[in-house]
Amino acid sequence: MTRWLTWTLSLLTGVVVLGSALLLLLESLPAWRHSGLGFLTGTRWFFRASEFGAAPMVYGTLVVAVLALGLAAPLAFGAALFTAEVLRGRARLAVKGTIELLAGIPSVVYGLLGVLLLRDWIYRLLSPFDPLSGDTLLTGGVLLAVMILPTVTTLADDSLAGVPAGQRRAARGLGLTRAEVAATVVVPQAAPGLVAALLLGLGRALGETIAVFLVVGRRDNQWPEWLLSPKPIAEAGQTLTTKLGGSEVWIAWGDPLHWGAIVGLALLLLSLVVGLTVTGLRLAPPGGRDA
Amino acid sequence: MRRPALVLAILAAAVTVSPVRAALRINGSTTVNPVVVDAAAELRAARGGEIQVDTLGGSSGGIAALGDGRADVAMSSRPILESDRERYPGVDFRATAIGSDALALVVSRDVWEGGLRSLTRPQLLALYEGRIRNWRELGGPDRRVVFFNKEPGRGTWEVFAHWAYGDSSEAPLVSLPEVGSNEEARSKVASTRGAISQLSAAWADGERVFALGIELADGSVVRPTPQAVAAGEYPLSRPLFLVTDGEAGRDARELIDFLLGARGREIVERHGYLPASPAVTTPEEAP
Repeated sequence: MTRWLTWTLSLLTGVVVLGSALLLLLESLPAWRHSGLGFLTGTRWFFRASEFGAAPMVYGTLVVAVLALGLAAPLAFGAALFTAEVLRGRARLAVKGTIELLAGIPSVVYGLLGVLLLRDWIYRLLSPFDPLSGDTLLTGGVLLAVMILPTVTTLADDSLAGVPAGQRRAARGLGLTRAEVAATVVVPQAAPGLVAALLLGLGRALGETIAVFLVVGRRDNQWPEWLLSPKPIAEAGQTLTTKLGGSEVWIAWGDPLHWGAIVGLALLLLSLVVGLTVTGLRLAPPGGRDA
Repeated sequence: MRRPALVLAILAAAVTVSPVRAALRINGSTTVNPVVVDAAAELRAARGGEIQVDTLGGSSGGIAALGDGRADVAMSSRPILESDRERYPGVDFRATAIGSDALALVVSRDVWEGGLRSLTRPQLLALYEGRIRNWRELGGPDRRVVFFNKEPGRGTWEVFAHWAYGDSSEAPLVSLPEVGSNEEARSKVASTRGAISQLSAAWADGERVFALGIELADGSVVRPTPQAVAAGEYPLSRPLFLVTDGEAGRDARELIDFLLGARGREIVERHGYLPASPAVTTPEEAP
C-alpha cells in the first residue's frame, strides 16, 4: 500500500513538472515559429513591432545571478567553515538555525529593504560614474546576494559537517593545525557539496522575481557592446523574471504571438533553473543535505 | 488560447465560492485604487460583506481580470479600447466614470529648483525619444535626463501616449527604465536626480515630486490644477472608470452608486481627483 502510494505520488509530481514544461512549449510555439532561433539570439524586444529577442533578458538574468553568487559565495563559505569547523553542538545549531531563519523571510520584504537602503547606497557608490539612477543590475545582484546567502551557507555547512570526524582526528594526529585540516582534508572532500550549494543558490537567484523587480530598473534591450563589458552592470536592466512580473503580461494575454513570446521567456527560465538545480542535486553528497 | 483562461476561471471560482455572500472582487488601476479602497471600507462598515481590492497589472490587468471572470469590477484610468472588446468578445464592458484626474509630468526637486517649470509637447517628445539628454537644453540644471517610463498597459501610459502621439500604437519604440504603480513612480522620481515621469496629478505632492505645467501652442502655460482640469483647459486629463461585465450586480451597483453620491464625491475629491458630474456615462456605454 505504502509503496503503491509513494509510486503514485512520485509519478504525479513528475507528470506535473513534465506537463508544465510541455504546456509552456505548446503555448510558446507561435513565438518560436515567428522568430525561430532569433528568439534566443535577438537583442531587440518591441512587442508593438512584433520583435521578440530574449537575449538581453537572459543576459540580465545571468549578470544578476553571477554577481549575486560572486558576492555571496566567499561570505557563505566563510560562515559555513566557521559553523562546521569551529562551533560545536548547541552553538552550531543556534547559529545555523538563525541563518536558516533568514532564508524564510518573504522576498518582498527583501525587495522593500532594497528600495529603502540599497538603491540609494548604490546610487551614491556609483556617483563617480554618473549613474542614471540607483536601479541597476548591480543593485539587483547585491540584493540577491543577501537573499541567497542563507541558502548557500546552510548547504555548505551541511556538506562540510558531513565529512567524517575520523578523518579530522587522523589529520590532527598527523600534526596538522585546525586550519590545515580544514584546507587540506575537509574542503576537498566536501567540494562536490560546496559546488551543489552554489548551484542551488544560483537556482534561487535565477528564479527570484519580486525583490529584483523593485530595484533593477526594468529597462528593455540593454545589450553590452562587448560581452564582458562591465558598463551595463551600473545601468538599469531587465531579467527574465522581472519581464514576466511586469504588466506586459496582461497586454500579451489574448494575442497568440505576444503571449507565445512571454511564455517562451517562462520556458527559458524554467530550463535554466531546472538545469542548474538538477546539476546541483546530482553533485550533492548522498544524505549530506539532511545532515 | 481560451484553455488557460478557463483553468484560471475555474480556479478563481473554486477559491472564491463562499457559503454566505460572495466577495465583490475589484482589480485594476493604482490611480483609481485609493478612492475605491476608502469607499469599500465605508460600505463594509455600513452593510457588512466582503470587498477585495487588488491592483495587479494596472488598468489593463484589471480589464483582463474582468474579462476572465477573476474580478467583478475593473478599475481603469483609461477608456475601454477596441482591442479589449476584440480580446473578450463574450464580455459586455460597461464603463462608468466616477471622476477624472489630470496626468502630470513630474520632475525631481533638482530639476524643479533648477528653474524648469513647464514643457511644450515637442519638448516632451524629445525627452521621451532621448533626443534631449540634458536638462540644460531646456533651461534647467546641468543634469542628465532620467525618464522613468510608465509601463505599457498602465492607464497613465495610454493617456500619455494618446496625447503625445495621437494614438498609443503610434508611440515610438523606446527602451526606458520602467515604473509600475503610482507609489513606485513617485518614490523613484523623488530619489533620483534629473528624473521625470508620468504620474497621476493627485500624487504630485509638490514636496517630493513636482508637476510641470504644459506650455500650449499659443505660449500660455496650464498647470494641472483641479480648476484647470474642471474647465477643460489642461490637455492631459482623463476620466476614471469602474467597469463591469453587463449590468452591474447588486454589490457592484451599490459601490458605483455610493461613489457617484454625495459621500463618494467627497472621497473622490479628498484624493485630489475631480468628482464626476452626476450620471455621467461614457460614449462607449451608449447602446
